Amino acid sequence: MSRAALDRWIYLGSRALRSVFRMTNDVVSLKNVTKRFGAVRAVDDLSLDIPAGQTVALLGPNGAGKSTGIRLLLGLLAADSGTVRVFGGAPEAAIRSGRLAAMPQEGGLVSRTTVGELLGFVSGTYRAPLPLREVMAVAGLEELAGRRVERLSGGQAQRLRFALALAGDPELILLDEPTAALDVRARREFWESMRAFAARGRTVLFSTHYLEEADEYADRVVVIDRGRIVADGTSREIKRLVSLTTVRVTVPAPETAWLELLPGVTSVEIRGDRAHLRTRDADTTVLALAEAGAVRDLEVVPAALEDAFIALTGVDA
Amino acid sequence: MLGYIRLEIARARRDPGYVIMGFTMPVVMYLLFTNLGVAGDDHGWAALHVMVSMAAFGAIGSAFNNGTGIAEDRTAGWLRQLRITPLAPVQVIAGKAGTGMLVVLPAIAGVCLSAALLNGVRLAIWQWASIVLLLWAGSLPFTLLGLAIGYRFSGQTAAVLNIAANLVLAIVGGLWLPAEVFPSWLKALAEWTPSFAYADLARKIAFGQTPGTGVALILTCWLVVFGLLALYGYRRAGRLA
Repeated sequence: MSRAALDRWIYLGSRALRSVFRMTNDVVSLKNVTKRFGAVRAVDDLSLDIPAGQTVALLGPNGAGKSTGIRLLLGLLAADSGTVRVFGGAPEAAIRSGRLAAMPQEGGLVSRTTVGELLGFVSGTYRAPLPLREVMAVAGLEELAGRRVERLSGGQAQRLRFALALAGDPELILLDEPTAALDVRARREFWESMRAFAARGRTVLFSTHYLEEADEYADRVVVIDRGRIVADGTSREIKRLVSLTTVRVTVPAPETAWLELLPGVTSVEIRGDRAHLRTRDADTTVLALAEAGAVRDLEVVPAALEDAFIALTGVDA
Repeated sequence: MLGYIRLEIARARRDPGYVIMGFTMPVVMYLLFTNLGVAGDDHGWAALHVMVSMAAFGAIGSAFNNGTGIAEDRTAGWLRQLRITPLAPVQVIAGKAGTGMLVVLPAIAGVCLSAALLNGVRLAIWQWASIVLLLWAGSLPFTLLGLAIGYRFSGQTAAVLNIAANLVLAIVGGLWLPAEVFPSWLKALAEWTPSFAYADLARKIAFGQTPGTGVALILTCWLVVFGLLALYGYRRAGRLA
């Protein structure tokens, strides 16, 4: 074997090794996944990698493909094309080993059982479940152990679904619109429990169409629309992506062309003696303005994630 | 899987439909049929004959009720919830079938105890043991048919089919009126039904005869057919879940 061939082998081998390790580092890996229902592409050539420990929001309007995506990740649906990997293997294997658990949007609470019976049963299917008392405490179900499942309120039922997902102490948890049926207070309580779970280094993927939830609770926001990812980043990055932060400053001189050349600025609008600068990086734009001495009545108006969302998807959420 | 069976048993206990159809009805019907308008020598014969019939009827009803509960479970998202636990699909089916094998017991025990305690039926220990064992093991085809219906049809349809199949099998199989009183064409038909074969095996023991291999073969054939139907229904339900 020639020296060049050997080098090539070493290069290819190390690259393969690196890709293998990268694969196992990603808890979730979707590659060019497509799922059709009839003529509709519910998920359309979607690729997404999620490393361990992230809390990711799947944000999109109704019918964007969020639930389909989650069902693909759970192996409840098979992709028409592309690959779905969870912990480097098939979703079913991840569920079987107890590393992947999920909270469906609705259903799953079987009648004629009590909270304690149902939770005890699901917990018993895992090899290393969390202690039942701990799960009950995290989900706020201590008082309800003897209650029949069909007599739970909407918020209580949702907490039980969450407890069922937590029972096996999974490394990755998928939540399909977890707070859709909850009032404001129940929602806040739910996210407190969720945060405690994520703080233990767990990976969380939740779908939502509540923009403030994605903004507040996710490390990373994946905006999805018509089965495709239209934006992916921190909520700050997504706002920046559509350059919706506006810097307003009073400029006395009539010529304003120089403003358009400032770093980060994407458009300038003059209203009277006020210049409205749209910027993708407000910090550097403000610094540049300061260097130019133009700081009179300067204000920075951050974009709401909602504005970004509308700009990205064209849908009013 | 044992945990799953335990949960399903707890659910069955709280199901009024099951308690009525799977225990109360067969016991009450047994006592009615054997004590109203049956006198003298006929009473002893009826007490034994109808005992097997009603135990079989109750067991079949319970087996169906268990299986068709699957349809309700599917609508409620329970089967999907089970799929996101570490339980393997085959464990879920086995658990449900295992539950089916348990829920038939109250009907069998209730009717046999009524016969012994209230109707003065006296049999040798081995006869009691064989009858209970045959009625118990022989209920498996019906459990599987119940599962097939539950997987294949939605809640309302499954419930109707459950009752229809239960009544047709009970009547044509000679569980309500003995096949001996049927017109010859109906009797010929009855002998091919799983319910007739099921009851006949235990009835032969009750009257001190040897169960026929032909009857056992017929029941085995139904076991295979219903098993395949259940498998087909499960596969289909899995694709649609």
